[in-house]
Amino acid sequence: MNALGFAWRSLVRQPARATLGILGVAAVGALLFDMLLLSEGLVISMRELLDRMGFEIRVTATDQLPGRGPDILDAAAVASSIATLPSVRSVMTMRTEDATIEQSDGTELRASLLGAGGESLRPWTVLRGRDVSGQREIVVNDYASRTLGVEPDATVTLRASCAGGAEAPPPMEFRIVGVAEFPFDTPGASELGTTASALAAACGAEAESSADFIVVQSTGDADAAAGEISALRPDLRPFTNDQAIGQMERGGFTYFRQISSVLTTVTLSFAMLLITVLLTVSVNQRLGEVAALRALGFSRRRVVLDVLCESALIVGIGGILSLPLGMLLAMWLDKILKGMPGIPTSLHFFVFEPQALWMHAALLAATAILAALYPMRIVARLPIAATLRNEVIG
Amino acid sequence: MRSVRPLVFLVALSGVWCGLLLHAQEGPLPSILIARQLAEIEGLAVGDTVELATDAQGGMARTFHVAGIYEPTPDPMRLGETPREVRLHLPDLLELTRDESTPAGTEYVEAINVALVDPSDAQAFSERLNATIPGLVARPTSGAAGSGSTFVVLERFHLAIAAVTILASTVFLLALTIMLVDERREAVGMLRLIGLPARRILMQVLLEGLLIASSGAVFGLVLARASEYLINTFFQWRYDTALIFVRVTPEVAAVCVAIAVPLGAAATVTASWALLRRSGLRLARR
Repeated sequence: MNALGFAWRSLVRQPARATLGILGVAAVGALLFDMLLLSEGLVISMRELLDRMGFEIRVTATDQLPGRGPDILDAAAVASSIATLPSVRSVMTMRTEDATIEQSDGTELRASLLGAGGESLRPWTVLRGRDVSGQREIVVNDYASRTLGVEPDATVTLRASCAGGAEAPPPMEFRIVGVAEFPFDTPGASELGTTASALAAACGAEAESSADFIVVQSTGDADAAAGEISALRPDLRPFTNDQAIGQMERGGFTYFRQISSVLTTVTLSFAMLLITVLLTVSVNQRLGEVAALRALGFSRRRVVLDVLCESALIVGIGGILSLPLGMLLAMWLDKILKGMPGIPTSLHFFVFEPQALWMHAALLAATAILAALYPMRIVARLPIAATLRNEVIG
Repeated sequence: MRSVRPLVFLVALSGVWCGLLLHAQEGPLPSILIARQLAEIEGLAVGDTVELATDAQGGMARTFHVAGIYEPTPDPMRLGETPREVRLHLPDLLELTRDESTPAGTEYVEAINVALVDPSDAQAFSERLNATIPGLVARPTSGAAGSGSTFVVLERFHLAIAAVTILASTVFLLALTIMLVDERREAVGMLRLIGLPARRILMQVLLEGLLIASSGAVFGLVLARASEYLINTFFQWRYDTALIFVRVTPEVAAVCVAIAVPLGAAATVTASWALLRRSGLRLARR
């Protein structure tokens, strides 16, 4: 019988302890798997979200990420000059202001009004109706449509709150022409989309003046396009998607990576300690048996291998069970974290990628080996005659 | 004269905060306080003069005297960001940021902080203010973010992780206690044979379990206290912040002990229960 088969029989002989050991590894392994998914999940998910918009570069007025720094002044002219660059395919200005919509019962619905300027490209995807084309037309997200009880062709009275609430222009009537999905839709938040000039009008201006940031689609080489933009406008800061993600990783995203590292370390140490204790106690209880096997002709290498195989079986079976458990746990934890305000519906904290699976397997394998070291040392150094004698006298 | 070039700052109400602090130190130039991190980056020190402007080109710049360096209030929402902040007197800030078309005295502020004589009156005061001044939103600072705030959600997340960890520990603990109890099978059998009732042995096992669980809980708390120091030191260094990341409060310690001790004792008793149901002779048999 080979070492693995022998180890399997040792486990089966003690079903309660073996089952509990495997279940313990499964629970710890599930947590470990989730921490590996969490370490890169937010970054992968955000990258997918940015890539899905189809624009590889975001241009801002300062080093701050889009939406956090000051506005770009004279945005339409800036966008036009960027559009002339050879490596640029299309350009769009983006400006967001708060707005309130009067509801039929007299109350007001707070919403975010996004004005997109430039060519025919829009950051949203129309689900029903059509896209905005003229003045005083808006698209709304599904939540706003349901809350207001309106469908395309309805008219709403909208009051924009511009310049951080400093300007309060008079309310204006807008026609809803479609229901759209916005890339950064958040649960329970109303989003409205219109043209940059319509947003400027809602803010009481005659023409589009400023933008929060400008998004740019390159002809293929985002880095080259970003370089050309920097050369054209040294006062502006173009971010490629990779650079934006890098900045986010250094900022708020880093918290989840750090907590993932801490919990991965704690989980692995915990698993290793417990499996070591489990195997050591198990080996100590079977010292006479091991000595007898050695006396019968089992080599030292073979009994050491038996212990290692036992560890591998506990960790291996527990590790396999931990994957479905981990996926279920990840869904639960993701749901909890997505309860944070301002988290887009399509953003996830736990994202599966094959690399996490390999890392999980490698870490558990290392744990199995390290956990078996001490009990392996005990059986390797076991004095056969003395142990058998003690066993008989005891 | 040093110049803080791209200081397109985000100072709003900070002037109100530091007004009292600066009052005693006013010189011929208007004075400001500089965030420690900004002072380190720009090499600024108390007594320096700096120019502040509201645009990157440095238009309409004004000269200020650095009256002090301050440690910014730690803000978990801005973790990882270097606070490039200055604090001005509110009149100086308004003077600096006022548009040419805006007459002095007609500027706006984003918020007003109110300290009440009786803080417990905050809710009622807010409601009164909301009812009497249309267009104004007043709310108490405590619990203003509600149950969906970032930190409430993070707390929920940490609790979920703790629950999974406790579950895994319980399973391991049961496995270990089963093994340990099994190791003492013969001793228990002998005790049964010399006449000790199962209840008496179970009580002994329970007391032993309580003792081990209590010792483990105390050791765990000591370990947590040491980890608290290490984690805080590391993350405060990593993010250059005074924020406290981990804090083992008496309440947290009490909850940990309240979970760990009964759990440890229960695991010991559960593991022993199956053994004690067998006859003494069967247990003592080799």
